[in-house]
Amino acid sequence: MAMKKNDLKGKNILVTGATSGIGKGICIALLSQGARVIGIGRDESKVSDLSFEDNKFLFLPYDLNNIDGIEGLFQNNSVAQEKLDGLVLCAGKEETVPLSLYKGDKIKSLFNLNLFSGIELLRIFSKKKFSKDNSSVVFFSSVMGELGQPGKVGYCATKSAVLGVVNSASLELAKRKIRVNAVSPGVVATPMTKKLFSQLSDENVKQIEEMHPLGIGQIEDVVPTVLFLLSDDSKWITGQNIKIDGGYSIQ
Amino acid sequence: MTKEEFIAELAEEMEIETTVTAETNFQELDEWDSMGMMVLIGFVSEKFEVSLNAEDIAKLTTFESLIDKIGVDKFS
Ligand SMILES: NC(=O)c1ccc[n+]([C@@H]2O[C@H](COP(=O)([O-])OP(=O)(O)OC[C@H]3O[C@@H](n4cnc5c(N)ncnc54)[C@H](OP(=O)(O)O)[C@@H]3O)[C@@H](O)[C@H]2O)c1
Repeated sequence: MAMKKNDLKGKNILVTGATSGIGKGICIALLSQGARVIGIGRDESKVSDLSFEDNKFLFLPYDLNNIDGIEGLFQNNSVAQEKLDGLVLCAGKEETVPLSLYKGDKIKSLFNLNLFSGIELLRIFSKKKFSKDNSSVVFFSSVMGELGQPGKVGYCATKSAVLGVVNSASLELAKRKIRVNAVSPGVVATPMTKKLFSQLSDENVKQIEEMHPLGIGQIEDVVPTVLFLLSDDSKWITGQNIKIDGGYSIQ
Repeated sequence: MTKEEFIAELAEEMEIETTVTAETNFQELDEWDSMGMMVLIGFVSEKFEVSLNAEDIAKLTTFESLIDKIGVDKFS
């Protein structure tokens, strides 16, 4: 049997959340393997260090809270030029809001980014003119998609809704052998958790660390699974939620 | 918002059952637990766009000290 491990050379992948944390780590790894990457984020200055050689990296600044404008991005000539082999939905926001203050507009805004922008991108991606057969979609859920924590009604609800999307879309797109999976990280050291930790006492931070038997994760602990899911090595895997959490959720 | 209105609204959000004034100390309240702190942080962030961190919360004493932290100029 010929094994080609995680061969992503020449693949054309769209990644949201490309400007920070895990999403940026995925872009760097894809580019280093010779893939062509289209990155979406708001703050272009945060990717100024990514190499633009051979036009392998295209950055599209866009606020994904604006769902209605997403389709327009795909009309951009350089996006439409070549059909996509992969879609990674990594843009997301974490917030702690007690239920008593969680009014409709606030929670809707979190759903816009964490859920609806991903569904809209998947909807457009799923059209034959934009994606190849056998392509792969990776959603970012979280261990919070199946577990809970006080103050996280919004975050947990969006992340478990993502799992529902994965379940249904994987069946709907199987006809074209398009695979749809989720990854669910535990706490990973990124700008997102830095912000969260700054709001917690040292004691709380220590508690969170201790809830991860293998300690807090690093970006490089999450990226390889995403590359595997994007590659043909995972061509028989769809509709799954893969937890990458240092043992957090097994307790 | 006046200081008095702020104190009354915050006490309402935190569901504090005793009467509170600017001199009431958070540490003395039964409601001052992790949920109470979360409500306070969320309420202050929503009304004043001020994010309080763990260190700010640990330093709080009275409601007046919270008003000082937010900035007296933000009250009418
Ligand atoms: N870190 C963790 O511990 C952890 C754990 C479980 C799950 N996750 C999930 O993993 C994903 C990545 O997390 P991370 O820690 O890498 O986050 P991060 O460092 O905070 O990065 C978030 C990314 O989302 C983008 N983004 C945020 N709001 C946006 C908007 N309105 N429009 C367009 N882009 C927007 C940001 O781009 P700009 O700043 O340029 O706008 C940034 O690139 C998220 O979905 C998160 O929920 C993270």
